Amino acid sequence: MTAIARARAPRPDPFLDIDSYDPEADLMVMNLGPQHPSTHGVFRVLLYLDGEIIIKAVPYPGYLHRGVEKLCEKLTYAQITPIVDKNDYVAPMLNEQAVNMAFEKMLGVEVPPRALHMRTLLAEIQRVASHLLWLGTFAMDLGGALGGGTSVFMYCFREREAILDLFEKLTGCRFHYNTHTVGGQRHDIPAGWAAEVHRVLGAISDRIDEYEAMLSHPIFLKRTKGVGVIDAQLALELGLTGPLLRASGVDHDLRRDAPYHIYDQIKDLKVAVESDGDCLARYKVRVVELRESIRISRLLVDNVPEGPICGGRPIKQPGQFKAKAGQVYVGIETPRGELGTYLIAGGGKMGDTPYRLKIRPPSLHALAVVPYVFPGHSVSDAVAILGSLDPIMGEVDR
Amino acid sequence: MTPAEENAAREQAFRRLLRERFGVEGEADAPLPDDGVVVDRAHHVDLAKALHKAGWQLYVTCAATHFPAVPGKKPTDATTPECFEVATVLRTVGPGSHTARWRVKLAVGESLPTLVPVFVGADWQEREQFDLVGVHFEGHPDLRRLMMPEDWEGHPLRRDYAIDTPHAPWR
Amino acid sequence: MAVNESERSFQHPLYEVLERFPGLDLATTQVDKLLTWGANNSQWIFPMATSCCGIEFMAAAASLVDLDRMGSITRGTPRQSDVMVVAGTITVKMAPRVKRLWDQMPEPKWCIAMGSCAISGDFYRDIYSVIPGIDVAIPVDVYIPGCPPNPEQLMAGMLRLQEKVNLKRAGLWSPPETRPETPKTIEPAIKRLLHQGRDRRIDAAQIDQALSLELPVVDLPPLPEPAPEKGEDE
Repeated sequence: MTAIARARAPRPDPFLDIDSYDPEADLMVMNLGPQHPSTHGVFRVLLYLDGEIIIKAVPYPGYLHRGVEKLCEKLTYAQITPIVDKNDYVAPMLNEQAVNMAFEKMLGVEVPPRALHMRTLLAEIQRVASHLLWLGTFAMDLGGALGGGTSVFMYCFREREAILDLFEKLTGCRFHYNTHTVGGQRHDIPAGWAAEVHRVLGAISDRIDEYEAMLSHPIFLKRTKGVGVIDAQLALELGLTGPLLRASGVDHDLRRDAPYHIYDQIKDLKVAVESDGDCLARYKVRVVELRESIRISRLLVDNVPEGPICGGRPIKQPGQFKAKAGQVYVGIETPRGELGTYLIAGGGKMGDTPYRLKIRPPSLHALAVVPYVFPGHSVSDAVAILGSLDPIMGEVDR
Repeated sequence: MTPAEENAAREQAFRRLLRERFGVEGEADAPLPDDGVVVDRAHHVDLAKALHKAGWQLYVTCAATHFPAVPGKKPTDATTPECFEVATVLRTVGPGSHTARWRVKLAVGESLPTLVPVFVGADWQEREQFDLVGVHFEGHPDLRRLMMPEDWEGHPLRRDYAIDTPHAPWR
Repeated sequence: MAVNESERSFQHPLYEVLERFPGLDLATTQVDKLLTWGANNSQWIFPMATSCCGIEFMAAAASLVDLDRMGSITRGTPRQSDVMVVAGTITVKMAPRVKRLWDQMPEPKWCIAMGSCAISGDFYRDIYSVIPGIDVAIPVDVYIPGCPPNPEQLMAGMLRLQEKVNLKRAGLWSPPETRPETPKTIEPAIKRLLHQGRDRRIDAAQIDQALSLELPVVDLPPLPEPAPEKGEDE
């Protein structure tokens, strides 16, 4: 792989000893967060500054640690879906799919083709909504008047509302859907939904051109180009996935490389790769993904196969399944990267509940890049980098 | 090579590597057990290094689990002692992505050599597992709590930790 | 950990100026109306947005619902805000920070608990790291139930808060908001403070700690006697 072989600059030391730093320097410690509008939630990072340049960054996550993994150990397999909705609250559909795929693999439950098709479709529409929210907040992080700023935020939320309305028609909920279950779906597609999807997504794909024109502003380019470069080697070792990895020049997308659902039937899946690894590259990758997801969704919504949406009886009772002792790992591609579920099932009496459920959040790995990327940048660039990483604290802390 | 063939070749290489160099029992090409392969603690870092060199470049995750002591069914049966298990997952990038995972069993008081020198991403993952489960990682440069406050007592994801432990004055 | 409502004052420098000049105090009612009108229509929000409800809060502030038309704009600092909207789960690690930010807000100030996590902890209530509702730390004026509440519900909550401000400024009694409790079939493992079935030692420890934190605590009700256990009497 050429990108990995490329020579890289020396990495900043995340464990730099401040006491041994140049004593004549103009040192200052600044605390960013946990309540800061640009940290996208409750993330705290301690910045050691030399003048205006960061020399060391020490992140402190954990301000939203809700013990989801412990709670899942107490609940039966059918009860966990609404809990994991709240992990990555920008893309709840993908969270539900991740845990339910792990449960299905463990319990050996077959999913009917219509449900698989619906899952793929919902995942892609959710990806559009998630990237729209990212685009809006990222533009706002870069400053109100710069390159569109708050205007882009307002426009993106307008489009996102339309997608939430689509999901509300399907599931009855705006936000936390609880529409997946072990072995299929709970809600079938209502009449006339496909036409709605075409109308909404068509309108959005027309408008993305306008946002791109709005954001190809010299100030936007200046604030993102060459800022926060992550090289491919560091990205791989840290476990960065999704748009962050692809923006660093690694051609890796689980939808194409380890296909699940019906992604293997989509032959011409376009994976966006950029080689620069800076904020602008991450922006470009996400915009291409936005278009690609809209294209795939419009393709899929027309030919949903007929059939049942849930295998066997609908799964409503807790304790309907008993798992044998075993361990599985399932990873899927969310808008932020690989969302993995490591499930350890206890056999016998402990067969109804997971013995241990470890969720591998892509955002936690994305935030681990902070000590390596912040040094050498100014504080305003740090905000831009943090925005481009697209962390969701609910899934970082869980 | 199609992605499926690539994946199969990786799986083959992984099995051979485990059986020839890391003392996993069985025929060289026989399938691995469904619930992951158990590797000796001494081989943990060497295996990660070998896999890293052979193309498993993406650090995916590590998950520690606590198994409390289980008394025997009859009074005469021996008690299964308390133990820990740490699972590690790596991945290859590109088409036909293959997942390699293995487990290491640890007795109480035993620590696991850290993977930070091989994958820097292991830093936060190991800190998290140390925080929540209480497994000690030997040689970790900065082993502090990640999720819970610094002054927290106990490790919440242990099986014997009550889910509703009070914490004055807040709950 | 009750919080004294009467300590929340409505002092304003304008009142002191008016009191100095004879005759001007006649105008206080009019000025009061003016101030009430101003207070009602410029409730600047400090979003204590921690999780999912924060996204719905952003949706409420964005184009479709548009909180700005009520004069409620979002500020990033507590010093410029009147209303704190607690949107999301508050954990043990975060609660001291919320309390501190609340203390930094100038009087008069109001608090809205948005979403069931901020009201009671929701299904995270029994978990070791989550506090059972934000009202153990700061007084709450309006509760908005939902998981998460729609932006329209947040707007309705803001209107309820305006009514409350009107009554409070007119010196009238306003009925306290009742905390919407989720009906539970199973008794929660962690009981509320001073509950009959709770361990009194934990209550005492929590109250001691609360006092040492110098939270504005007054007049705690006496600890209830635990119900005599039948087995011991005989």
